[in-house]
Amino acid sequence: MTAAPDAPAAAGRLRRALTDPLPPAAALALLAVAAAARDATVLCWASVGALAGYALSGSV
Amino acid sequence: MLFSPGWRAPVRQGWVLAVFTLGLVLGGTLSAAVLWLLSGLAAPVPPPARTAAIVAVAALGAARDLGLVRLRLPQNARQIPPEVLADRLRAGALRFGFELGTGVRTYVSATTPYVLALGLLLSRPGSAATLLAGAAFGAGRALSAVLAYLSRSPDRAALVGRRVPVVVKGAALAALTALAWLHLG
Repeated sequence: MTAAPDAPAAAGRLRRALTDPLPPAAALALLAVAAAARDATVLCWASVGALAGYALSGSV
Repeated sequence: MLFSPGWRAPVRQGWVLAVFTLGLVLGGTLSAAVLWLLSGLAAPVPPPARTAAIVAVAALGAARDLGLVRLRLPQNARQIPPEVLADRLRAGALRFGFELGTGVRTYVSATTPYVLALGLLLSRPGSAATLLAGAAFGAGRALSAVLAYLSRSPDRAALVGRRVPVVVKGAALAALTALAWLHLG
């Protein structure tokens, strides 16, 4: 007989994965480069702005 | 960590985070407005020279964050005093966020914000793009606080400490790639 999955532990692992600091940085980086490639100036600057702010992570 | 677990204050932590985020966005927008006003000074510089300077600044920023060059940059080397949050928590969080959002009231631990500021000054992308970039700077700074709040993890500080160097280097390389592509592509 196998033990039932530990739901709280699984939820904790999922929460940790979803709140990992790296994926948002990767998403913003991709968005900035994609916006530049499409000549979307406003979106590109906004993405670089968000990246610049996010690069200061950890201060609060 | 303002948004770590173990919150004991009488004010809901989510409210404090919302007000803090608002302050960050307002602070970033204010700094962007100042940059937009100052960007008129770059108007007489020929566009090819401005483009070269933007790419050079982004490349230098990436090199600095990758540890290839050592360069001291101006920063307000002080912490925002904790008394800001002492009495009125929501108003204090708004002020704390605003001061952080301006990017000029405390330490700046990465080079990409400098690349952003100089890039906006030299590129002169227009008021909407400049103000939106400033608001996004505040929102990006708030994102790490939002994630800390949602993670509810007591080990958050250690995880962030491990990830921050990668985030800083990746942001610098992405800014270099995006700005070079936007201006040279």
